[in-house]
Amino acid sequence: MRITLSMRERKNPYIPVEAEKIVPSILMKGTDVTVYEGNKERRLADLFEITVEGEAASVDEVEVVLRGDTSRVKRVGEYMDGGRITVEGDIGMHCGNFMAAGTIEVRGNAAGWFARELRGGTVICRGNAGHYCASGYRGEKKGMRGGKVEVFGDAGDFAAEHLSGGEVVIHGDCGDMAGVEMRGGTLTIHGDCARPCGNMTAGTCTVLGTVLGMIPTFERTGEIVGPDGGTLTAFVGDIANRGKGKLFIRNFQYLE
Amino acid sequence: MIYTDMVCPFCGCLCDDVVIETEGDRVVRVDNACTLGTHKLMTTRKDRLKGPIMRDGAGGWRDASYEEAIEYAAGVLLDADRPLLYGWSSTQGEAQGLGVSMAELLGGVIDSTTSVCHGPSILAIQEVGHPGCTLGQVKNRADVIVYWGCNPTEAHPRHMSRYTTYADGFFLQNSFRERKLIVVDIRKTETASIADEFVQIKPGGDYAVFSALRAIVRGRGAVVPPTVAGVTKEQLEKIAEICKSAKFGAFFFGVGLTMAPGRYKNVRNAIELVDELNRHTKWTLTPLRGHYNVYGSNEVFTWMTGYPYAVDFSRQIAFYNPGETTSVDILARKECDACLIVASDPGAHFPRKCLEHLASIPTVLIDPAQTVTTPLCRCQIPTAVTGIDASGTAYRMDGVPIHMKAFLDLGYPTDTEIVGRIFEKVKEVRHP
Amino acid sequence: MNELLVKNAYVIDPINRINGEVMDIAIRDGRIVEDVGPKATVIDAGGCLTLPGGVDSHTHVCGTKVNFGRYMSPEDMRAGRVARRGVKHATSGYSVPTTYANSYRYAVMGYTTLLEGAMAPLEARHTHEEFSATPLQDMMANTLFDGNWGIMNAIRDGDQERVTEIVGWTLSAVKGFGIKLTNPGGTEAWGFGKNITCIKDEVPNFGVTPIEIILAMIRACETLRLPHSVHLHCNNLGNPGNYACTVGTFNQVPDLNEKRQTLYATHVQFHSYGGSDWKTFCSKAEPVAYTVNNRPQIVIDMGQVMFGKTTTMTADGPMEFNLYRLHHDKWSNHDVELETGSGIIPVYYRRKNLVNSVMWAIGLELALLVKNPWQCMLTTDNPNGAPFVKYPEIIALLMSKKYRDAEFATVHPETGSRVVLPALDRELDWNEIAVMTRAGQAKALGITGIGKGHLGLGAEADIAIYPIRVGEVDPAQEYRKVIDAFSRTKYTIKRGRPVTRDGEVLVHGENTTIWVDPKMGPGHDISQDTEFVKMFDRYYSVRMSNYPVQDEYLKRSLRMETEAVF
Repeated sequence: MRITLSMRERKNPYIPVEAEKIVPSILMKGTDVTVYEGNKERRLADLFEITVEGEAASVDEVEVVLRGDTSRVKRVGEYMDGGRITVEGDIGMHCGNFMAAGTIEVRGNAAGWFARELRGGTVICRGNAGHYCASGYRGEKKGMRGGKVEVFGDAGDFAAEHLSGGEVVIHGDCGDMAGVEMRGGTLTIHGDCARPCGNMTAGTCTVLGTVLGMIPTFERTGEIVGPDGGTLTAFVGDIANRGKGKLFIRNFQYLE
Repeated sequence: MIYTDMVCPFCGCLCDDVVIETEGDRVVRVDNACTLGTHKLMTTRKDRLKGPIMRDGAGGWRDASYEEAIEYAAGVLLDADRPLLYGWSSTQGEAQGLGVSMAELLGGVIDSTTSVCHGPSILAIQEVGHPGCTLGQVKNRADVIVYWGCNPTEAHPRHMSRYTTYADGFFLQNSFRERKLIVVDIRKTETASIADEFVQIKPGGDYAVFSALRAIVRGRGAVVPPTVAGVTKEQLEKIAEICKSAKFGAFFFGVGLTMAPGRYKNVRNAIELVDELNRHTKWTLTPLRGHYNVYGSNEVFTWMTGYPYAVDFSRQIAFYNPGETTSVDILARKECDACLIVASDPGAHFPRKCLEHLASIPTVLIDPAQTVTTPLCRCQIPTAVTGIDASGTAYRMDGVPIHMKAFLDLGYPTDTEIVGRIFEKVKEVRHP
Repeated sequence: MNELLVKNAYVIDPINRINGEVMDIAIRDGRIVEDVGPKATVIDAGGCLTLPGGVDSHTHVCGTKVNFGRYMSPEDMRAGRVARRGVKHATSGYSVPTTYANSYRYAVMGYTTLLEGAMAPLEARHTHEEFSATPLQDMMANTLFDGNWGIMNAIRDGDQERVTEIVGWTLSAVKGFGIKLTNPGGTEAWGFGKNITCIKDEVPNFGVTPIEIILAMIRACETLRLPHSVHLHCNNLGNPGNYACTVGTFNQVPDLNEKRQTLYATHVQFHSYGGSDWKTFCSKAEPVAYTVNNRPQIVIDMGQVMFGKTTTMTADGPMEFNLYRLHHDKWSNHDVELETGSGIIPVYYRRKNLVNSVMWAIGLELALLVKNPWQCMLTTDNPNGAPFVKYPEIIALLMSKKYRDAEFATVHPETGSRVVLPALDRELDWNEIAVMTRAGQAKALGITGIGKGHLGLGAEADIAIYPIRVGEVDPAQEYRKVIDAFSRTKYTIKRGRPVTRDGEVLVHGENTTIWVDPKMGPGHDISQDTEFVKMFDRYYSVRMSNYPVQDEYLKRSLRMETEAVF
């Protein structure tokens, strides 16, 4: 089953749309669901042109395709438990939050809190991801717990904050403080980043580019060979927090 | 007339020992207040609007009646798909409470100036808690004071004389001599010039310095490099030693910390340093809050909605996510389609992009005087100033609630009255 | 004139010695009366269990510390999120819900009167502001005196009269209800990061001991003729072996009041621990209950722990720091100058954890071992032991051995060797539950005279009708039905007006704040005392004239005036 949602032109394209119902397991049962545009409840069909092709026996046979300007559509794929969502353009905040299984692919950019508190499944962004990619929620100790997040462009600040399980791969650069408060899982940054892994207690972070503003409370333990065959400096930390996380870095500079 | 024990409606110190002398409805003398407070109290009538103003359709202003302005305000809020209700820090708690109820019924976003000052402090507290105390506790006990990323001499001029450096207390009879003062900042401020220890940090280096101090305090100083963000390890070790040997330490910080790169992570690291120090001796931490009742907005919002600021009611439940539901972010993304600003001046503080959006949507300002925000609005409704011609509740930066007293009657309605009347109009349309 | 008639009510009203009579209750203008006219609104209780409105004599729902619990816990707010609807505000939160959430949930469970367990006088205004936003219950605030400098100085100087004067003035100024002592002396010691281990330790810098504070406050309380007794959170909360301190404290309490207890000891579960460390931790509910059974001057509340997530909050600042060191989760602390302190940390009580399992058992043991239900109130020290929404489960546990055994089978396997719970066969009856959840609480608080906790003529028409017919249910076997019934009333009536029906909130509500105003007569006004004024001027950070809570903070105010007899 293939469900295509094409965003209609809106009078005010800046008003955010909250659409947590855009999940394969819900839409396979019918597309007469409601979403919110600001504080107004709308039918999905009011905002999207909907076409449904084929049938599905299980959620894994469902693909939802989003087309048009979906950069303000939030919470797509929330609690997703199977199937596939393809976003042809950009996607709004909280895409894939709490997702447990299935695949989301965003061909454009993803706004903030991409794959927040992910539990399982695969979430891919071909463009750039905003701040708090693969992070947690305010006040919670644990962020993402499982699954895989892959960003082919850059990620903003606080990527993988509170990461406690699963795998996060950023092919481009990260902003400030990736992996801060990490307590499990793995984070791999192919590009550069600033101040990664402050206060981490466990987990593994690998930075194949250059780290600026290296946190001064990681203990240098030696060198290892990185996934790309090059040498990486190994650290343990964050010592400020009795941490035993592993941090592997190609190049680094302290703020002296 | 002479009024004693009056409460100053300027900063979060909420000094309540101010003496005000009036002649008619003019203030002729103010005692005990600082220069900032005195100025506010002495110029009570400066720039005050006589009555509501609205756009005249030709780029100018015309006078309007309260009824008309209130009707207009209710109308634009009711018409909006994403109304924003911003400000709330220089007003009475009673108005804040009504604002929350109105936002709830409208399905709007309500946010206070917290989001551009100590919002990051709150985010940090939500991660690790807050070891705090009332300011009198500091006055009576603290023998080590830290001011980090703040300059109380200029921003909170009586903070040092009422609560810290110059304030004698029960356990410190000669405070100035018996207290150690540590100042940490990126530049040598006036406060720094009287410090026993001044630590000058490179901009953006706060986080690293906290991490280093934490490691040193817990005996792992060996990992710390010889200099951290421009501070020598030697000095860091000295600071750690002073902190550990305090009988009672009090840590204060300002927007120099909350708005530096890393924002709430800086504050979190400060809190975790204070937590660590509590394993050795007693330490507390207090954000130096700016507007006199900004902390009150956090208190009122919290007991009503569960969250201290940036609350989004668009789904009729309370949703909170600073970065998403904060005013600056909403304006920068052009999300809101109407805005009510109460008792604050975003025109003077917000990024240009945000102000452009404010000017492009129906924005109503409730504020006693003409401000930088006025030109961005379509309607302004003047009200009485709490602590001058209106009474009401405010919360000091340490959470102590204080009743603000009025000493003049200039005939203006209070914020509570105006917000209440707008709310009544909203209720007529959307009766709960 | 507003009239209501509740027909066919199966009434249990322990104060009026009514134990299961089917009757009609007539109500006029918020009070219970002999009869009403034919135009009265009629509610048919259909033979369902009808009790006086619930009274919680120790809960934390309003004020600085509670709000800080909310403020620091956005993750807690994600639970219990309900949209605004009709007269209801949006609500959020599970263990530290918004004021409206507290109010609605208590009302749905039939509770109409709450005592906030701890109000710092300096921050009283805040508590009163939140009372106004807790609209479906009448509220009162226990006022903290555990580290009060003026009082400790007066005790050291042997000046009991001065102690009484300070208490009287303060209660009146802050519109408090009763005297609360939280870890007396310990909160002052915490001012410099220290604590007190038991009643004989000297409070640093003040030269008094906790027991001197407790006894002086008991004398002050009785001199002022306060409706409620001294309300004590004993020293050394939460530590293995602390039962000895608890029993030692109880044994020092004289019997001074004919109408009620002389000491109310709160959340005694947290104070009934044996062992010398966490490895040897065990229940000492038996010696504690034995002491209570032999001392009618003491009333306790359970402070029951239930498994799951909650937030602990108390004026006992040093104890919270110790908890923080155990859990290493977030920690807040808030010392209040010259008066008291407080601390907050989130906790998760786990069945798989031996200490938590033993704690769970101790609360139940206390309730089952204290023979007289008028001496043991049902509480969780909300939210410290568990959020109050767990009360129905606790009621069912006390009424059903079968339920206790079923639950016991799920806790840590070693629990059996540390507790006596499995050996206790007692099953409480409906009347005893009514005592422990309203009648006894009202009596202990001294508010039966203003019409609380009973359904006699002239009483406040606060009534809870539960959807259960006593004759048709065996609580020992059908405990699920008991839980369901106590979770959601058919009707909750507050001051003669139905405020909830089948779990739906019907009105905005308008509550009353009950406070005590002791009259001490000429020569006893401490606010005129030069030394007292000097202390205020020099050491407080607010002016004395700005300290009292203005009348306008109480929307509806019920002032209980007392005459002190020096």
